Formats: sequence, structure tokens, C-alpha cells
Amino acid sequence: MSKFVDRPRYACALGGALATLRAIPRVIPIIHASTGCGHNLHNAINPGAGYLGGGYCGGLALPSSNVAERDVVFGGETRLKEQIASTLEIMDGDLYMVLTGCMVEMIGDDLDAVASEFEDSEKPVIAVHTPSFRGNSFTGYELVLESLIRRFIPKQPQKEPGTVNVLGIVPAQDVFWKGNLREIKRLLERLGLRVNTFFGEGETLDDIRNSGKASLNIVVSDVYGIEAAREFEDIHGIPYIVTGFPIGADAAGEFLLSVADALGIDGSQAEAVIESEKQVYYEYLERLADIYNDLDLQRYAVVVGDSNYAPAISRFLSDDLGWLPELVVITDFLDESQKNTVAGRFDNFESGVRPNVRFDTDASSVRRYMAEIWPRNRNERYYDSMSPAVVVGSVYERDLAERFGFPLLTVSFPVTNRVVLNRAYAGTSGALCLAEDLFGILAAGR
Amino acid sequence: MNYLDAKSAPAREDRLKTNIAFGGTCAQIRGCIRAGCFSGKGCLNLADRRFAETQGCQFTLSLAILNTLRNAVVIMHAPIGCGACSIGNVGVNKTFKQLRDPSAEGVVWLSTNLDEVDVINGGERKLREAVLYADREFRPETIIVANGCVPALIGDDIDSILADLETQTAAKIVPIHCEGFKTKVMATAYDAVYHGILKKLTKKPERQQYLAESDLDKIREQYRISRNVNVLNVSSMSRQDELELQRLLNAIGLNVTFIPCYAEPEDFEYSLESSLNVSICGTHDDYFVEHIRENYGVPFLIDTIPIGRKNTDRWILKIAGHFGLEKEAQRLIEVENRLLDESLKPFRKVLAGKRAFLAGGEVRIVATAEILQDLGMEIVGFKAHHFDRFIEPMFDSLDNVDDVVIDVATNQPFEQSNLLNRLKPDVLITHTGGNNIYAKHGLPILPLFGPSYNYMGYSGVFEVARRLNRVMRNCQFNKKLSRYTRLPFRKEWYEKDPFAYIKNQDAV
Ligand code: SF4
Repeated sequence: MSKFVDRPRYACALGGALATLRAIPRVIPIIHASTGCGHNLHNAINPGAGYLGGGYCGGLALPSSNVAERDVVFGGETRLKEQIASTLEIMDGDLYMVLTGCMVEMIGDDLDAVASEFEDSEKPVIAVHTPSFRGNSFTGYELVLESLIRRFIPKQPQKEPGTVNVLGIVPAQDVFWKGNLREIKRLLERLGLRVNTFFGEGETLDDIRNSGKASLNIVVSDVYGIEAAREFEDIHGIPYIVTGFPIGADAAGEFLLSVADALGIDGSQAEAVIESEKQVYYEYLERLADIYNDLDLQRYAVVVGDSNYAPAISRFLSDDLGWLPELVVITDFLDESQKNTVAGRFDNFESGVRPNVRFDTDASSVRRYMAEIWPRNRNERYYDSMSPAVVVGSVYERDLAERFGFPLLTVSFPVTNRVVLNRAYAGTSGALCLAEDLFGILAAGR
Repeated sequence: MNYLDAKSAPAREDRLKTNIAFGGTCAQIRGCIRAGCFSGKGCLNLADRRFAETQGCQFTLSLAILNTLRNAVVIMHAPIGCGACSIGNVGVNKTFKQLRDPSAEGVVWLSTNLDEVDVINGGERKLREAVLYADREFRPETIIVANGCVPALIGDDIDSILADLETQTAAKIVPIHCEGFKTKVMATAYDAVYHGILKKLTKKPERQQYLAESDLDKIREQYRISRNVNVLNVSSMSRQDELELQRLLNAIGLNVTFIPCYAEPEDFEYSLESSLNVSICGTHDDYFVEHIRENYGVPFLIDTIPIGRKNTDRWILKIAGHFGLEKEAQRLIEVENRLLDESLKPFRKVLAGKRAFLAGGEVRIVATAEILQDLGMEIVGFKAHHFDRFIEPMFDSLDNVDDVVIDVATNQPFEQSNLLNRLKPDVLITHTGGNNIYAKHGLPILPLFGPSYNYMGYSGVFEVARRLNRVMRNCQFNKKLSRYTRLPFRKEWYEKDPFAYIKNQDAV
């Protein structure tokens, strides 16, 4: 049974769907909902995702049926029909996706019937049920992918060996999604693969259309994109593997090995790639040898984030930077088995550090857990505090960080205090960015 | 006016016959008002569009005000997405509150996260849990419960649940009924918020009664009240705007209290100890001030917004008139105008003759146009969020706008994009939102308002002039974008009449 959420770190299914479509060139969303939903969600996603902006046809340019109480009397269907027809007239796109909000689902509009009237239009019109009460942004991502997989991507009996799709990075919800996809793609290309990431640099709707040819789906997440991968398997017969989200050279190495293994690529080829990645990685990290040890820049850390970032960053902090992530709060809606899987990621850190892992959606809980995991100062003369520390979280952690006087690096949604363009934190080059940013805030006053 | 017995405020399309879809000239729209086209039976009352873009709802606009209240927690009784826009408010909110009170906390909100089960069974349990949690965890003075579309459709009896809960909480609970689908006029939000405030937060403050109170004390207290005005601020105003207005009213011997934005809940009680409520803008406040006059006898003034010289003069004079301070006001206006006029000279040289398009709130765009005319610029078009009787007095301060195009549309960038393409202004002054489209027209853009910039009063005129001059000196950023990125509207759209998709447009 779900509960209220103190300052949610995601929008709703409709929001996730809009953000996902925002990431695909020339797809035009048509919102069938009340007047406010699109505007509201844009005003969440834009600042929350490091000022993503409306792009080609997002933001206030989003076509929307804007049904109000007075339209409800006659049902929203007539209005929707009119809106789809006029959108096709005005908006220049290659695929039109109708997304629903709560209100029209509750009054029982027959979305699919209306959409099917446009079957013969020049460009496809596909309907997706995305009311807010169905779930959060992550759900919206799955729902859009599911529709594309079932209704847009043609079946390809002939698979291309060496072509793979990447799933599990949710646009906007992962604020650094585009940079991360570029890095994941770069790593995989080093294995000689052709990679489709759906939302990556230079990728288009055609790449999505052709994704049925892939011979493997790689889900870089324990939680997101798995639904979609199953769908792909069912409908297109593409098998999938789940790798988790890699940050750091070791994590990237394991990632490459598991992909090589699944595709039957010679292990020594993967080893060679990993070796050269590590070389570059340590060539850069070597620069920190001085400042790190001169100034004792080891830190305790509090990590607050989603199921992708929280384990990946904690491991990077622990095993690559030699820091002490003591508290990790994972903020998604998860069921028990998902929680177990994600918790398992914290079991075997090479450092031997075992963070306290909590699953909690409420912003106000983090402070409570701090008090729980670390003994309080009872006016002792000699008190071993959890300091110096760094908080890696979202902008919601600012008050917490200020209260304890810890610096904060915002990485997980919402990130309203940074502007993000092509930065990445995944893989090896991403991990270097992360190191830059972390040590950067420690050096900022110097 | 008395709607307070009703559960919620009426929609503005009913109460004020507000219109959201119209295209024509300024002269036409004034003619339409006179001819009654906007009245209840008028052909423009419920005009709408065959193609529409997302426009915002009263729920999210309500949050823009509610989030500013200090010492309050907002509960969004809705599914997880409604009100997610508060995310954009997390950082700045705290900074702006702290400009008024250094110890203020940032915005805290809870979503009741209604899901598929709740849609069937009702959201009562979660609402109760959220309210009790908010009370325990944050100890606020006030808990504000704003409800979105879903609880309204399920038929949750929010008021009685909250009345019952209030017996268990230390905080006062204020329900705000602002479900988005009730109205297409976003500005109904102001009424929805004031409705809640009027019902729960405005009551005569309980002052201690002294057994022996000297006559002098009494007279002093009466004098204080007789010189106190409430200025009703809006969340789009900056602290600098407030300080400027305060300076001007202080100069003629009046004290100022600002409500509702960034106020403490109890400020609404003290606000009744005042001699006049002064609205900044009819779009925002008529519902509140009319009810206060009706119930507490405090008179009000709704006239013009103090943006631009003539409007500021007029605003001060109207207020001064209420207190018999015209002479003082005249002197102030003279001095201020002289100083300001001098300071504008260099900008007039550069800006004279430049053509501008203004888009945003009805009152604000017309007022801001006065600044531009003062600088010798030409107004080529307006786009107003909505249209009602409060726009009428605003036109008085403008010259020669009869033939200027006016589009009434809440957001709807497609229409604005078409108009920009036709009119080719040199500069766009526009409400936030939609700049992913407008920037690609390659022209300089100045925001119509900004909570960290000064637009109001005499200093505001100078600031707008100075900033206009700056944005027009270099618009390479937008120019480059227009060269390398694409607009989403088909070529054919730009060949069509910009108002082609308005239903009931035949009236014009
Ligand atoms: S569901 Fe209703 S209240 Fe919520 S954002 Fe949409 S229009 Fe506004």
C-alpha cells in the first residue's frame, strides 16, 4: 500500500512519458488532459533536470487537449479528435504520441478508439495511457517504450549479430542521461558493437525503428528498463542482460565483461579494452595523488539517489576514491524483490566498507537516518563525528548539507542548482568527471 | 460580493466573464467590451481553440502564491505529478523568503500520491496521514491542503476530513480548492487561494485589552491604523519592487504592509488593522479586497499597476486621494519625474523607433508598453493571457494603439510564433515559458517580470530601460539558435491567419 511522499523526486507517469519523448527527435506528444498537466510537468522537468528546456516542441509548445469541466459533459473524445487532427495540421513531426492525464482516464474517454481513427494518417499516431495515478516518471518511461516496442518497431526475424540496444537510463530523471548514454555507447563500441541507445547523440527515430534487429538488449539498471527488455524479448525475440549502472573503471570493466560474455565475444578482447581504459583512467587520477594525500581529502559521504546512481556512486566513492559512504538513501518506489536486488549491490565493496542502506521516498527522512547511524554528540569532550563529509544527492539535500556544514554535489533528480549539458558520470570518463566535481567543490575555496 | 459560504471560489469565466481566446486590434477589443461580447450571453465568453497547447492550471498557479507563505507546509492532495512544478521553487523560494525574514525555511510540500487504488477507494487515509505527518515533523503554523483534479473527481469530502483533523493538529489547516479542470482561466487561482485565506486566516487579531489605556495610547493606535495601507503583492514581484513602492508611499506619509506573498499566516489578521487595501493589479486581487470590504469594512483601490511613469503617478495619486494627501503626492511626483526623465535620455537615443511585442498578463503588458512609449519605442503587438474588465483603465496611458494587434491566449506559443513571424518586432518582452520557441525567432527577449529584478515604480522604469538597452546590444545567442535549430510548426502554419484556430472568432 503506497503512502504520501514528502517532496517527491520524480514526476508522474505522464511526466516521465513527456521527458522520454522530449529525448527523441521529431516525436510530437499530444497530451489529452486538463489544461495544467503539461505546463506543470515542464516546470518540474526543466529545472529538475538541470534546465533541460522545452526543446523542439516541449514546454508550453506541447499540444494538449486542455479539457475542462465544461467539456466533460460531452466527454473529452470529440475534443481529442479535434486536437489530434489540428496537431497533424500544425506540428511538424514524424511520430505523434497521445498521452493521457488523470482526468480523462477517470471520466472514461476511449482513447484507443479515437486514436485508431487516425490509423491512415501519413505519420503514425500512437496512444499511451499515462495517467499520473499509474505511477511515477519511471513508469512513464516504461509505458512509452512498451508502446514503441509493441506498436512502432517492426518485427525483424533476422537479427544482426553485434548490434545491441541499451535500456535503463531514463531521460531527465537521470539528469546526465545523454552524456551517460554517450559514454556507455563509447565503451560498447570499443568491443566492436553497433549500439542503439534510443536517446543518444545523433540518434533518430529511425534508429528506434530499427532496434528490432538487435541481438541483445543491455539493461544498465537493476530496476528501470527491465519491463521494456521483457517486452522486447516477448515481441521481438531479443534476449537481455541486466548489468547495473557502471561508474568507475572496475565497474566499467565488469560491465564490458558481462556484455562480452553474453555475446560470446572473446574475453581477451574485452580484457584488452578494459586494460587500456584503466590506463587512461589512472593517468588522470594520478594527478590527484598529491592533493588527495597532501590535504587528507578522504571524506565520509552521504549518498541520496535513485537505484541507478546510489549504488554506483557509493561503490565508486568506496572502491575508487577510498572514501567512506556511511549512509545511502534510495528514494524510488520499489517492491521487496527490487529492494533486495539493489541492496545486494552494496554487499561486496572491495574496501570492505558496508554503508547503511535505507529505502525511503521522503526528503525529511535523510536527517533522521543520520541521527540513527552515527552516535550523537552528548557534549562529550572527545567526540568522533562523521566529519569531514560530503553529501552527494539532489537539491533537496541542501538544507541537510548546510545544517551539518558539509559540501553538496547534486547528482540525482532534482538538480536545480546546476546547468547540465553533455556531462556524464557513467563509465570511466564519467567517473573522472565525478572525481573532478567532487574534488572541485573541496578545492573551491582555495 | 460574497462567495464565502460556497465550498470554493467560482471560475472566472463565470464570475468575470473572462475570455481566453480572441484575436483582433486594441480598438476592436475595446469595442467588444462596449458591445457586451464578453458578457454572459456574449459570443466571446467561452471562446476557445481547435488546436491548443498546454496552458497551466489554477492548481499550479495557486502553488506560486502558497509556496511563498512563511511557516507553512503545503500538502498537494493529488497523484504524484500534480504540483511537481514546485521543484523549480526549491532554491529561490528560500532566498526570497529570507529577504523578508532571515530565519525563514524553504518550501516544504507533501504529495498524497494518489494511485489506482485510491482512485477507487478515495484518498482519505493518505490525506490524514500526510496532514498528521506534516504537523509532527515540521511543526508549521499552517498546513495548506491544495487539491488537484483527482480528489475532486473521486468526490473526497476534503473539508470535513480537514475539519476533523484540525482537532488533532497544532497547526491551523487551510483547504484550497483549486482543481485544474474546473476552469480554463488560470487566474481563478488567485480567487481559490484568497477563498481559503479569507475563510481561515483573516479574522480580527486578538489584541490584549488593557484595563487602563490612556487616551494618548488609543489615539496613537488609531492614528497608526489611519495611516496604514496594505499593498497586495504578487509572486512575480521582487523585493526591490516592494521597497520602491514602500519608499513612494512612505514619502507621502503612509505605512505599508505587504500581503499575501511572503507573509506569515498571522499577517492576515493584522492586515485588517488598516485603512486601505491597494491592489497592484486587478487580475490578482479583486476577490480578496471586495470580500474584505464587505466583511470588515476596509475600503480598497483597484486601478492601475505602478509600472511606467504615468501609471505610477496615477497609482500614487489615487492612494493619496483616499487620504487627502494629494499635495504631498504632487510634489513627490514632480521630483521623481524630473530625476527619472533626465536618466532616460541616453536610452531614448538608442531605443527610439524600435518595435516591440509584449506578451503576458493583461494588466502588465499594457502597463509595460507605457515604459516603451516613454522611450520612444513603437508597440507592434500584444498577447494577453486573458481578458476581462480590468484591462480597460490600462489603455488610458497609451497613445495610438488602436490599430495594434492583440491576441488573447494563455500561453499558446503557436499563435505568438505566427505573430512574431508576421510583425517582425525588434524586441520581445514576454512572460516566462515558451522561450524554447521565441528564442528561435532570433530576436532579443526581455522577461516581462522577474522576482529578482525591479520593474515597478520610478526606479523600475529606469531598470527596464537599462536592461532593454542591454539585451538589444547583443542577441547573438538567440540569433545563432535561430540559424541552427528548428521551430516545430509547419511552414503552412505561418501562411495562415494567426487566429484561424479560435472558435467563435467570427464575432470580430
Ligand atoms: S491533474 Fe489537474 S491539478 Fe493536476 S496538474 Fe493536471 S490540471 Fe493541474
